[in-house]
Formats: sequence, structure tokens, C-alpha cells
Amino acid sequence: MLVTGIKSKPVYAPLQADTRGRYHLMLGMGVGAAPLLRVIAEMRSAAAQSLKQTRVLYVPDTGGGAGIDEFRAAAVADVRLFDGTPALLEKFRATLSESLMGTRLYVAGPESFIGLVMKIALEFNLNKDEIRAEECGTLARRIYCIHCRATTEQVRTNIVRCVGCARWLLVRDHYSRRLAAYMGVMVDAEAPGELPPVKEVFL
Amino acid sequence: MSDEQTLAVEVVGIEQVTPLIKHFKLAPVGGGALPVFSGGSHIIVVMRGERVHKNPYSLLGSPSELDTYEIGVRRMEESRGGSHFMHDRVVVGSRLEIAHPVNLFGLDKIARKHVLIAGGIGITPFLAQLEDLHGGSVPYELHYSVRSHEHAAFLERLRRREGDRLHMYYDSEGQLIPFETLLADQPLGTHVYVCGPAGMIKHVIATAQSCGWPDSHIHWEQFSAPPVGDAFEVFLARSNLTVHVPPDQSLLESIEAAGVEVPYLCRGGVCGFCHTRVLELDGELVHNDHFLSDADKAKGKSIMPCVSRAQCKRLVLDL
Repeated sequence: MLVTGIKSKPVYAPLQADTRGRYHLMLGMGVGAAPLLRVIAEMRSAAAQSLKQTRVLYVPDTGGGAGIDEFRAAAVADVRLFDGTPALLEKFRATLSESLMGTRLYVAGPESFIGLVMKIALEFNLNKDEIRAEECGTLARRIYCIHCRATTEQVRTNIVRCVGCARWLLVRDHYSRRLAAYMGVMVDAEAPGELPPVKEVFL
Repeated sequence: MSDEQTLAVEVVGIEQVTPLIKHFKLAPVGGGALPVFSGGSHIIVVMRGERVHKNPYSLLGSPSELDTYEIGVRRMEESRGGSHFMHDRVVVGSRLEIAHPVNLFGLDKIARKHVLIAGGIGITPFLAQLEDLHGGSVPYELHYSVRSHEHAAFLERLRRREGDRLHMYYDSEGQLIPFETLLADQPLGTHVYVCGPAGMIKHVIATAQSCGWPDSHIHWEQFSAPPVGDAFEVFLARSNLTVHVPPDQSLLESIEAAGVEVPYLCRGGVCGFCHTRVLELDGELVHNDHFLSDADKAKGKSIMPCVSRAQCKRLVLDL
């Protein structure tokens, strides 16, 4: 059962401003504020008028985040803070439905956050050349159980018990953009109860 | 592409639809169904006159009707012979060979909206695409620019079916497609497609980019006819053959006439299939294709022989 070396595992790169875009939509969570502020600074020196067409949607989260003042100090007028990811995603979806061609998306935060944002961006047919994402923060994964279809959040271990069917799942690198989750496959189907060592690997 | 891969067809209908455009219907010799295709596909028509011409033409009929293929051929003023052959020599009952359809201009299947922009004969690939779009749930609009009313090919067919999704522009009345306002105000997930004169395609690409469109949402197709140039000699290293390329014959045609096969799909500088390595050159390559990047063209290490030539004494190709 191939666990690593799977091509569907997303690859991320440090955020860079794309001033060919007309509108800039930035989404961040927790420590994702730092890359966003870096892009904003880059824009201010390269194409300051872009900041007038920039909107930030941000979930402060605990530890290492930024506040609204830091974005305001960076001269971005349109900043919205959210209590949690679901509220941010709801606003994101509404924003995309009113957005025009020429919009660029910048996403920074934990991979699970990026995945949920990408899932919605995909529904709006945004392509790779319209989205930039930088991974920072926890590597904890969303795991989709291929048996019962439940999604287990915040998985840090190589093997996890499914929240839906309680099977022990092996966490693979096989990633679904449509589900925004890694695939989990029953690990002890051949020999019930025989589990490999459980380790914390996604910290 | 070898001759075994061509299909024999018979011309079963010809209609002069504008002063410059003829509409041909082709049916398979011996009956039966033609190969399936998707909207935006083209075929290569092989014409055997004094010389062999192989020209690409978009299929404009419905992809769901496979008893005939339909193509539209514009008579080119500076024809190297292909379009004149189709206009002057081909009659109902004529037999032609065609290559299997290839699609280099397909619709994006998950687009949220399609904006189609046609100039003149560039309407042909869209006629087949519209068959796919019509009755679907994805919104679309067609902007069609022609010289004047008499040059508006296939207009009745379009009017009848597309209604207010069709926007007509007549040069003779000074009407221009408002590219800037059109492209600055499209919802996220829109794709633009353009087929028409080179200037129009360039303008649409540049305007879309200036409105912030990423390249993955901009689609275009233009088959270049191989331009006339100076004669030159080419040495085919692997075949150990020297071939003369006359001014009015393309490099690809000259190589084929010498009996060497080069793979191709479009013969119009678009698909990249005939990409050939340049081993030696004592002059300049004249790149006329839309496939190689400017950087690759400058390097001079490869050439698309379907439309490109050389100004040199000696050109050596890896063929």
C-alpha cells in the first residue's frame, strides 16, 4: 500500500505578488498572516495601486497570528477578521461569486486550511495560474475514510481511528483536491487488530 | 502521418455562402459513419493537383452527425494553391483524402462561462462548439465580426439558434468588438476563445492579459499558411539526403516530396508535432509558427517545418 511518493500530494511555494492581476484576494489563518503581510509589502513597493484592489479575509487563530491593526498599518483598507474557518469560507464563496476575471488568490496557513480554500476555488474554475498558496503552521491532515466517507479532522498520526466507522485508517499521501482531504484506508483489514506502530508524523 | 491513415471522402454538397467562402459537405466513400470528433476539431484535406496540398480546415458541422463532415473554405488572395484548388477544381462528386480529426481548440469542460470571438472565416470552429454549448447549462456569448453583410457566413444558422447570444459587428458600418469592456467585466471562471485574423488574435490576447486574465483562460487558434520565402537547401542528416526547398513550397512539403516522413497534426504552426532539431545552420531561421516560445526561437535549435523556413546556405536537420 503506497503511502508516500504519490504525485497528488500538493506542492506549495512561498507567496509572491502577481501584479498582472487586477484584483487581489488574500486568505489567511494564524501564522499565515506573515506571508500575506510580506506580499502586501512587495505590492506596496512594486505596484502600490494594487493595494486599493486588495481584500484580506483572515482567521486570527491562537498563537503566532496577527491582528487587524497590522493589516491596516500595511495600508490595506479592506480587511475582515473571522472567528473560524467556516465563517471565512462562507464569505469567501460569496466574494468569488461576485468577483471578475483578473482576480488573483493568495492563501497562507496550515495545509488543511489551504485545502478547504482550494476546494471552493476549484468550484469557481480558478486555475493554477490564478492561485498562490504557502503552507505554514500545523501539518495536521484532514482524512477522508474511503470506507464510510467520513472526514476526520486534525490528524497528526500515521494511523487514526475514523470518526465515522471507527476503522483504523492508514493515512496516505494520496490527496483529493475535490474533497480537500488525504485518503485513509483500513490498515488491519487482512489481520484484524494487528496495527503497525502509531507515530505522530504530521506536526 | 502516412497515407494509410487518411480516409477517402466524396464531396456531396457545395454551397457558395459568401463571395469568398464555400461550404463543402464530405461523405465517406462507400458509406458508413465518419470518426467521432469534438467541437473545435480540424481535419487535414489532401488535394492532389499538379502538386499535393494538405490544408487544415475546422469541422463546422454537429459532432453528433457523422454521416458527413462540413468545412468552410475561404478563397485566399495569396493562395499557394490549396484554397484555389478547393474553390475552382473541386465539384460535387470529387474525391478527396482527409486525415482523422484532431482537436487543438477544445472548450474548457469546467468553465463557468464561455466568450467566443470570431473574425470572418474564424467562425468555423465555433459552429461545431456551439452545437455542444447549445442547450447546456453553461452561459456563453458569441461575438462575430465580418467585413460587411454579404461576408457574414453562416449567419442565418447562427441567428436562428443563438438569438441574443449572438453579437454581430460589421466593419463596413464601423462597428468594432469592444474588447476592453467585454473582457474587463466577466465573472470568475470565464474562458475566452478567439479565431480570426492574426491582428485580432493578438489584440484579444493582449487585452485579456491587461485585464488580468491568466493564460490558462485564453484560447486561440490560427492556422498559418506557410509563407513564401527564398529558396534554400536542407540536408537531412539521418536520411543522408539533400533537399531543395523552392520559394513557394514549405520545408515540410519539400521533405515529404523527397520521401521522408515527418509526424504532423495541423500543418499550420500550432500543434508542435513536426518539431524538428536543427543540427547545423550558417544563416537565420525564419520562424512563422505559434508553438515555440520567443526564447526557443532565438536559440535556433529547433524548427517547425510546416510553416517555418531558413535564410541560409546550409541547414542540417535531425531527420
